[in-house]
Amino acid sequence: MSGPVARIEARALAREFRGGAGVHGIDLVVAPGEVHAIVGLNGAGKTTLMRLLLGMLRPDAGDVRVDGVDVRKAGPATWRRVGHLVDTPLAYAELDARANLLAAARLHGLGRQEATAAVAAVIAEFDLARYTDVRTSRLSLGNRQRVGLAAALAHDPQVIVLDEPTSALDPAGVILLRESLLRRVEAGAGVLVSSHHLDEVARIADRITVINDGRAIGALDPAGVDLERAFFAAVHADDRARSAA
Amino acid sequence: MNGAFHGFGVALAFEARKAAASRVMLSITVLFLAGVTAIAVGMLLAAASGQEQVLAKLGPLAELDGWARLVGVVVQVTAAGGLGAFGIALSWMFGREFADGTVSALFALPVSRATIALAKLTVFGIWAAGVAVLLTAAIAVLGFAMGFGATDAAGLGEIARVPVLAALTALIAVPAAWAATIGRGLLPGIGATIVIMVVAQVLAVADFGTWLPIVAPALWAISPGSVPTEALLLVPTVPLVFGALCALSWRRLQLDR
Repeated sequence: MSGPVARIEARALAREFRGGAGVHGIDLVVAPGEVHAIVGLNGAGKTTLMRLLLGMLRPDAGDVRVDGVDVRKAGPATWRRVGHLVDTPLAYAELDARANLLAAARLHGLGRQEATAAVAAVIAEFDLARYTDVRTSRLSLGNRQRVGLAAALAHDPQVIVLDEPTSALDPAGVILLRESLLRRVEAGAGVLVSSHHLDEVARIADRITVINDGRAIGALDPAGVDLERAFFAAVHADDRARSAA
Repeated sequence: MNGAFHGFGVALAFEARKAAASRVMLSITVLFLAGVTAIAVGMLLAAASGQEQVLAKLGPLAELDGWARLVGVVVQVTAAGGLGAFGIALSWMFGREFADGTVSALFALPVSRATIALAKLTVFGIWAAGVAVLLTAAIAVLGFAMGFGATDAAGLGEIARVPVLAALTALIAVPAAWAATIGRGLLPGIGATIVIMVVAQVLAVADFGTWLPIVAPALWAISPGSVPTEALLLVPTVPLVFGALCALSWRRLQLDR
């Protein structure tokens, strides 16, 4: 590939679970300054794909590069450039929001003073000032998700991977996240987001890839007028083709 | 550098903060200290009033008095109850990451998961040392309150056995951390704790296993003279082996279940 090194590059990535579910040979690229959305129905393989990209699962075949580094060999220098929220956020019930965010910033490699400044900034960015001293166990699901997103983004990562980031957010939270991601993309970050519906974040994507049954089955035009219709047409055509085969 | 120890200080502060903020660790500490003290008081008062069942239960301890009898009761209770307390604490520290789902947030960080696992064990060690000191202090206060300061001043040295036994018991609880990791939750850790407890107690009562590191502390609690110092020095092999297994398992962890 010519041009700048991709933030994420997966080639022929496969990991199969008992029963046949999983990811069956996906190629995927997230370029710097780009939001790449992956959309698919529940169980399509989006979360498995993200886990493979982040080293949470080892592939049966294929490989993943994060900022040009093979994830199997990635060390602290690579991982400090990554922010993610896949499955459960880094938001421990017994800690308050500020303590969680400070821990996340420190674990992502920021020094003590840098972390304090970064946490103050991200608290403002995600409108969390009211909750900084509240135990996370007492926060609503949506606010916990805001804390988790803030924890994933506080250290200004260049590689951002978010699995269904808007699932529990209220409309105000969705707008905050969308603006936060756009700011980071303008600064050169590459963002991969997943969605099982074409939500507000998927709609800011530069590229939308449709995942079905563990495969990338096509792309949607983010500027298209009826994305839902195009999405379901692609998924149903793929289902028909597979059942006919 | 892709070193396993990158960020150990950060991981240690993170784990210490979680442990300090959690009600689980505080509850275990309070219940354990209160439980051991209450059982010791109950047994000693019952024995002093000549209750035959309690005297029979005390076995050779019934022939002792003063500090030796108090410490004898405390170390025997700690050999079993302390193992439960330490095992549950480790099961929670490791298993909760899986039960709460927070383990996924511990991937793709500059601080490796092996480092986080070792930080957890270090925090456990510091906490267990604190529990041993508090238990010793509580038993000292209890002994003086029972008048042993005046009646058995020469026997005060016996109390040194309390922190030693508590520390040895904490060391043999470490397999619970590995079980919680392999089994992805709290219950496998608690199960492992129960297995260690049963094996240690049964073999110790049968006077067998002097050279088995998980049995030696319980045997030493019952009959200090029968366990050579060298056998006790083997006890740290348990946390060394199972601590290394923990670090390895956390390094190789996959979210595939």
